[in-house]
Amino acid sequence: MALETFEAPAGAAQTPRTIDLPAPTAWPIILAFGLTLVFAGLVTSVSLSILGAICAVAGGVGWFFDVLPHEKRESVPVADGVPTVATSRPQVARVEWITHELHRARLPLEIYPISAGVKGGLAGSVAMAVLAVLYGIVSGKGMWYPINLLAAGLFPERWTIAQISVFHWNALIVATIIHLVGSSLVGLLYGATLPMFPRRPILLGGVIAPILWTGLIHSILEALDPVLNQRIDWLWFVISQIGFGIVAGIVVSKQERVRTWQYLPFAVRAGIEAPGAMDERNGENRQP
Amino acid sequence: MNATSVTVAETIQWDRPVRGRVAMFGLIAAEAAIFSIFVVAYLFYTGKSLTGPMPKDVLSVPIFYTICLLSSSLTIHLAVSALRRKGVRGFAVWWFATIALGTAFVYGTATEWHRLIYHDGLTISTNLFGTTYYSLVGLHGFHVVVGLIALSIVMALTLLGNVRAEHAERVDVLSLYWHFVDAVWVVVFTVVYVIGR
Amino acid sequence: MSSDSIALPRAETASRPLVDALHGWVTTVDHKRLGILYILYALIFLVIGGIEAGIMRIQLMHAHNDFVSPQVFNRMFTMHGTTMIFFVAMPLVFGFANYLIPLMIGARDMAFPRLNAFSFWLMAFGGFLLYFSLVGANGLYGAGNAPDVGWFAYAPLTSRTFSVGHSTDFWTLGLLVSGFGSIGTAINILTTILCMRCAGMSLGKMPLLAWLNLVMSGMVILAISPLTAAQVMLLVDRYLGGHFFDTQAGGSAVVWMHFFWIFGHPEVYVLAIPAFAFASEIIPVFSRKAIFGYPVMVAATICIGFIGMSVWAHHMFTVGMSSSANTFFVLSTMAIAVPTGIKIFNWLATMWGGKIEFKTPMLFCVAFLFQFLVAGLTGIMLGAAPFDWQLSNSYFVVAHFHYVIVGGILFTIFGAFYYWFPKMSGKMCNETLGKLHFWLFFIGFHLTFDFMHIPGMLGMPRRIYTYEPGRGWDVWNLIVTIGVFFQALGTVIFVTNLLWSYFKGKAAGSDPWDAWTLEWSTLSPPPVYNFASIPVVKSRRPLWDLKHPNDPDWKYE
Repeated sequence: MALETFEAPAGAAQTPRTIDLPAPTAWPIILAFGLTLVFAGLVTSVSLSILGAICAVAGGVGWFFDVLPHEKRESVPVADGVPTVATSRPQVARVEWITHELHRARLPLEIYPISAGVKGGLAGSVAMAVLAVLYGIVSGKGMWYPINLLAAGLFPERWTIAQISVFHWNALIVATIIHLVGSSLVGLLYGATLPMFPRRPILLGGVIAPILWTGLIHSILEALDPVLNQRIDWLWFVISQIGFGIVAGIVVSKQERVRTWQYLPFAVRAGIEAPGAMDERNGENRQP
Repeated sequence: MNATSVTVAETIQWDRPVRGRVAMFGLIAAEAAIFSIFVVAYLFYTGKSLTGPMPKDVLSVPIFYTICLLSSSLTIHLAVSALRRKGVRGFAVWWFATIALGTAFVYGTATEWHRLIYHDGLTISTNLFGTTYYSLVGLHGFHVVVGLIALSIVMALTLLGNVRAEHAERVDVLSLYWHFVDAVWVVVFTVVYVIGR
Repeated sequence: MSSDSIALPRAETASRPLVDALHGWVTTVDHKRLGILYILYALIFLVIGGIEAGIMRIQLMHAHNDFVSPQVFNRMFTMHGTTMIFFVAMPLVFGFANYLIPLMIGARDMAFPRLNAFSFWLMAFGGFLLYFSLVGANGLYGAGNAPDVGWFAYAPLTSRTFSVGHSTDFWTLGLLVSGFGSIGTAINILTTILCMRCAGMSLGKMPLLAWLNLVMSGMVILAISPLTAAQVMLLVDRYLGGHFFDTQAGGSAVVWMHFFWIFGHPEVYVLAIPAFAFASEIIPVFSRKAIFGYPVMVAATICIGFIGMSVWAHHMFTVGMSSSANTFFVLSTMAIAVPTGIKIFNWLATMWGGKIEFKTPMLFCVAFLFQFLVAGLTGIMLGAAPFDWQLSNSYFVVAHFHYVIVGGILFTIFGAFYYWFPKMSGKMCNETLGKLHFWLFFIGFHLTFDFMHIPGMLGMPRRIYTYEPGRGWDVWNLIVTIGVFFQALGTVIFVTNLLWSYFKGKAAGSDPWDAWTLEWSTLSPPPVYNFASIPVVKSRRPLWDLKHPNDPDWKYE
């Protein structure tokens, strides 16, 4: 269908006097009407279908000669007065409350490195362990009590106070693993989410996240560790979590941030050699 | 060959896909969706007929006519290649061969249906097998017939001397449709004569 | 007749004989005229579908009402659903796509102008065929005229046994014919966007509206076709004695449900994605900021397109699928909330820090943001299979999907009307009437569809003809019906506004909103050839580049 005629005037400096466009034609509506009648005949009478078929064939043939051998086109005169593109707001303001000097920045500009999350998690784990052992001593059940409780999910046969209060070497190992792995993962999560709350990292890391986390544990603990669920002291649990959160939050936010590469073109981030792609700021060399 | 380009300024090379091809791929996607629904229905209802005749009793594998249809993909490809090389005569020969092979396939389907209806007593309302079989194979046959009509129009235009090398691109778009019809037959054949039997 | 499709000054058009003018419209292949035809056609059916909704709401206004007979009520909800989806929402979407896409991508017409006309007329005649059933569907006495099997026409209700006469056939054939038209238009839109872009407009520099309509047309191609296939199967069952959905002969009614919803759920996104497209064009202009996160918006749309094709069976939790199927469809339904949420955040981020002007189009889009959020939240509730077992087929579901379609989609379409009316007609819409329309419709919408959730939770099933008093449903139904009158009044003001503004509105000029996409660089209304010389673009906001030569966009993209 004469592709070249579509492209010809592109980029022309002066506007043409007339423009060729497809000529109006009645054949499509006749073909559509015929096809509809063919189907309408199914619910009315066969004669309607036959009439529809005749219409459709006529429409199809007519359409064929609209397009072949040459598409029928008509010349349309070009109207005078091409509108000028102008604005009533020539001034441009910048939205700058996050990225002070960068226009159209890709957020976040900086993130914490992965190691920051792990460090924060491990530091928090120490604080949490201290608080938990403190709870064991204050409540008079002994310092091994919280450790045994944490590991109790794997040792369902130990369920009396007497059994839980004494030292078990295997429970110490299991509890340490659970504690360290859980703490590192939560620390990583903090490291990832803290840049989204750049103003009060300690509030999020220290208070809001532990409370949400406690709520989640509260709802699933019965399935994870029924012994712990029966004996847990939720007040002390929240206190230890907040201790964890504050320490982890402080440690993470003290780390050096690294710049994200989001301002770089995708090709560069993907490691593809793309000459000219880096020349973003003056843009002349970038091509579609 | 797949793109038209125009030099706008000195620097920008502006490439876009050819309309006819894109539209034909759109149509093929739509048709593929229709066929997949019928194929899914066929597979789901396989073996669920409450009464006979069953597929294994009455269906025979139409190897010869399948070879006819599938080889027509090759001939139509040769026809378009000939036209690209300005060989209108070669185009006409291969194009006619395509139509002949397609017609043979339709003849094969017709004889099979005749046998099923008058000899085995299987109609579209006999049982679920009849319903799904005639719908799926019939839908495919309908597409073959539409394709044959389009091919015949091009054949007539060729004999009248109206098809030249510069029409190769458009003829190629039509051949895409024919390739699709052939590919669908591979699926229909597998479903009806291999899995469903 | 060759001069008919030129955009002549109106005075001259009016002085010609009516027949000539009409001939120009029926033979036109101009994408702008066809777009307007689609939109006018949809507006007419919007009024018809609205009247049907009104009849239902009056019937349900109080217990034991008998405003219409039960048979008429069944026809009303069937016709209302079918009309609103296929002959209002789809033509509106296609109409705006037809009108805007060539203008926005700097083309002179659609890729296939004659196919465009053909597709429109197929859709139009499909609608007329459906409505011809009101007078033409002769069956057994009392077998009714208009279709009455519900808009998703579950088997075996559609079998010859339960649906005597031809009413169901009218439904099938009407949708079949209009479905062919939809597929044609979708292929045309797809091809136009891929092949007709002006120089410099790479895929990454297209306006979001073009991107979203590209995804929409892909979904139409893949979603309407299964409906066409299912309609053909239904015709085989009804006319040739086939057994696809005949449970007496081993067929399955559930297969129809699957086939229908394989179409039905993507259809929601077919309508919603263009609504997102309008919001993505209107919100930046009235926030005076570029769209936030353009690449993510595109990626989220494509994501919605993919996931949207795989959630259909969440309409069927109560049918009794296997637990693995239930789990899959629950999870995919939940997953689609993620890209949708990304979009909502991006629109909010576009507004954040912007210099927002609350003109009528922006009002509708802001209301859309919040209403679509609520609709999405009830969608997540219903997407959880156990919750759905409680409330499926209740008025809660009806309220949910009307929140999507009216609160989400229709609101942005109204916004699009106010935004692009100046381009289409050359006249500004009246702001006062526009705001009045917005507030009336807003109040009416919330009265109707907020309170419709409650009788649903109290157990009121959808599609019931009437109900017993004293179940606690009465007052809610009354409120819902009152809301409908507000919406009807809002619609009357909308139509009045369009007519008044067309004849009496003040001239708009080419760029009334100080916007940034290519359609605002040509005359209003655009000449038949759109652009005297085809533009060349360098960024996503070509008009911004022209308006701010010292600070162009292409430096940052």
